[in-house]
Amino acid sequence: MTAFKTLARTLAITSLGLATFMGTATAAQAETLRVGMSGGYYPFTFVDHDKLQGFEVDVMNAIGKQTGDDIQFVTASFSGLAGMLDSGRIDTIANQITITPERQAKYAFSEPYVYDGAQVVVKKGNDSIHGVEDLKGKTVIMNLGSNYETLLKELPYADEINLKTYESNIEQDVALGRADAFVMDRTSAAQVIKDKPLPLQLAGQPFSKIENALPFRDDEKGRAQRDRVNKALDTLRENGELKAISEKWFDSDITEAPQSEGSEKTGSNS
Amino acid sequence: MQALNLDYMVGLVPVLLGYLPLTLGMAAAGMACALILSCLLAVIRVSRLPGLNQAAKLFISFFRGTPLLVQLFLFYYGLPQFLSFLVSINGVTATIMGLTLHFSAYMAESIRAAITGIDRSQTEAAQSIGMTQFQTMRRIILPQATRVATPTLMNYFIDMIKSTSLAFTLGVTELMGATQKEAASSFLYFEAFLVVAVIYWIIVEALSWCQKRLEKRLNRAYQR
Repeated sequence: MTAFKTLARTLAITSLGLATFMGTATAAQAETLRVGMSGGYYPFTFVDHDKLQGFEVDVMNAIGKQTGDDIQFVTASFSGLAGMLDSGRIDTIANQITITPERQAKYAFSEPYVYDGAQVVVKKGNDSIHGVEDLKGKTVIMNLGSNYETLLKELPYADEINLKTYESNIEQDVALGRADAFVMDRTSAAQVIKDKPLPLQLAGQPFSKIENALPFRDDEKGRAQRDRVNKALDTLRENGELKAISEKWFDSDITEAPQSEGSEKTGSNS
Repeated sequence: MQALNLDYMVGLVPVLLGYLPLTLGMAAAGMACALILSCLLAVIRVSRLPGLNQAAKLFISFFRGTPLLVQLFLFYYGLPQFLSFLVSINGVTATIMGLTLHFSAYMAESIRAAITGIDRSQTEAAQSIGMTQFQTMRRIILPQATRVATPTLMNYFIDMIKSTSLAFTLGVTELMGATQKEAASSFLYFEAFLVVAVIYWIIVEALSWCQKRLEKRLNRAYQR
């Protein structure tokens, strides 16, 4: 019944008027880190029977324990998250946010805490697509506002790909055969295929390295929060907690930077 | 063709029902505010109060002419750039405000139609016995207009309940947002969306029943 409580509280606040709004706004700032996530990206952030959980949730809670901050999760559809960060309604986004030059120009990023690769996924039994080079002339989908869109648009044959982005349920559309492939990060794709009933398979190897980090607003308060979080991340890395969280959700450590593999292109990420 | 996962559906019902108070609460609050605002707008339009009438026209034109989602984003993510105190308004309040503004524009028009639908002779009769314009409106015209407007207003209320599903884009997990998240983790799309569809359907059916009773009551004076 937390939903009802939220509503009751809101109605109470509304009726007290604007003056109260200003009051609560200043009072709420102290030592609370508001973390936005979609709650719809298995197994990084997802809701099962009303319980918000996943890799990102565990990582943020561990960070909170280190910094002493009270971690408050805010879930919203992915397309609303950036707006919430910009308008100061949340302090950061924990939703596998990839560091890109564009985002780096705008936000103050923490150090990376996930190293992953972009992955093409197709319907089970579709053996005509073996990787990103086979996407010419195909319909490929991805989440709206995700970095994979930029990655695909940078391919030399990008204009030959029928690229579509939307809000959610891309996995289902490929399973139904409405699109030929979707692109997301390798670890969640593998986990979805392993744990969930959808008929999907990985198509070839990951094609671009991605590094995920937490974006903060690039102002004094945001940078201070980032510095606190960075310190906590260092500690969690040293005491092995970060690794343990990763192994709990992925059976492998995705939080450690991979050894350089020579020829492989690092893509647009820094 | 895979079989429906009935256990999952049954388990989902109590989870989703927990969000019903929020969904219904937002719609009810929006409806209450919209009723007040739309009556005000309609009366302004009918009595052609100079200045106010043009403002009401502009208001109705804008809020009828743009999608609710655009209004919500404009208000919640856009305006705080200029008016920083708006940041402190949370998603639930913003949704209620959005629903109020959007639907009052529609409702004002149907209330206006209901008012103008009452025969002029009624106004003349009221004024002939010395009622002021305000008294005429409150005692004679609005009670009759209420009866005419009830079915359409009920339609807007039903629409409003379903429109609360947009609140998830403002970070409010309501009935539909909760369903989307559950479906995104279970990948049992059909089951999850079927359960939520039935829940919405039952709510609206219950409302239709209330509407029938309400209409009967309002019609009592007209039955001989």
